[in-house]
Amino acid sequence: MQGNSKSSDSLKDSPSFWNFLATVFSYRLWPGMAAWLLHRLTGLFLVLYLALHIMGLRSLADPASFEIYVTTYRNPLFKVAEVLLLGTVAFHAFNGTRIMLQDLFFRSEMHKPLFYAVVGLTAAVTLAGGFPILAPYIAQLLP
Amino acid sequence: MKNVWKPGDARPSRTRAFGWLAQRFTGAGLVLFLAMHFWVQHMPTGFLATAEEYLDITSELAAAEPGFAEAIAEGKIKQALPGEHVITFRKVQQRLANPLWKFIDVMLLLFAVMHGMNGLNNVLEDYVHQPMHRVIVRVSCWTAALLLSAQGVVSILAVGNWF
Repeated sequence: MQGNSKSSDSLKDSPSFWNFLATVFSYRLWPGMAAWLLHRLTGLFLVLYLALHIMGLRSLADPASFEIYVTTYRNPLFKVAEVLLLGTVAFHAFNGTRIMLQDLFFRSEMHKPLFYAVVGLTAAVTLAGGFPILAPYIAQLLP
Repeated sequence: MKNVWKPGDARPSRTRAFGWLAQRFTGAGLVLFLAMHFWVQHMPTGFLATAEEYLDITSELAAAEPGFAEAIAEGKIKQALPGEHVITFRKVQQRLANPLWKFIDVMLLLFAVMHGMNGLNNVLEDYVHQPMHRVIVRVSCWTAALLLSAQGVVSILAVGNWF
């Protein structure tokens, strides 16, 4: 969580969007900070998605509108987004599990290896779950 | 900055502790429920229609209802690619005919909304310091949670002709 003192000292104090960006980029992203920031960002994204998803459930009232809704979500771009969504959920779940285990059950000194394990598990789940989703679309692109 | 009540903090610390514990509890539940949800709705299992099954389902519906035939002709309902597995209304209806699945899906919904809105509230309270603004944030999160829960529960219960 240490700031890069060289560049943050040179920042002016006035609140502006560019100072905000400069501050963000002046930080060096340590694993602990990356874990905190990513958990927060993935969480915010997932709340937004949850709201949209629940609104979408209204189409369950009528079979035709449900099939139309599902067809929209089968656009190749949405399929890529679906895999990214899986990655987002997987990261939030694994990192949340890490936080929970450390809060409730043990105090590990191995913070960094545990975070790298979270990243590894996220990548593994995203690849394993993403492949069957994208496989038919990739097969279509091949000659 | 120990665990003391501050004027800017409208909630007693016991309520905050309960929120903290609830976030852990719902989080643990969501790991299980969401893994199941993803397996059922996104993986090539029997809960989704294969390309052949989807062709059968859509042509049967198109024969029964003109609205379906129109939607297919306009390209609003597209056939599945070879090897693709598609969520379809009938498969969801079959699954939700089982009360246990209905219970699981309602629990998933309630846990997700609770966890999401409590999390959003926690994030916003890190940046909003004025007591009145905090109350507005909290009330907004609770209202959104209640509306989304109601919307979702009605949607889930309606499938399988309960209403």
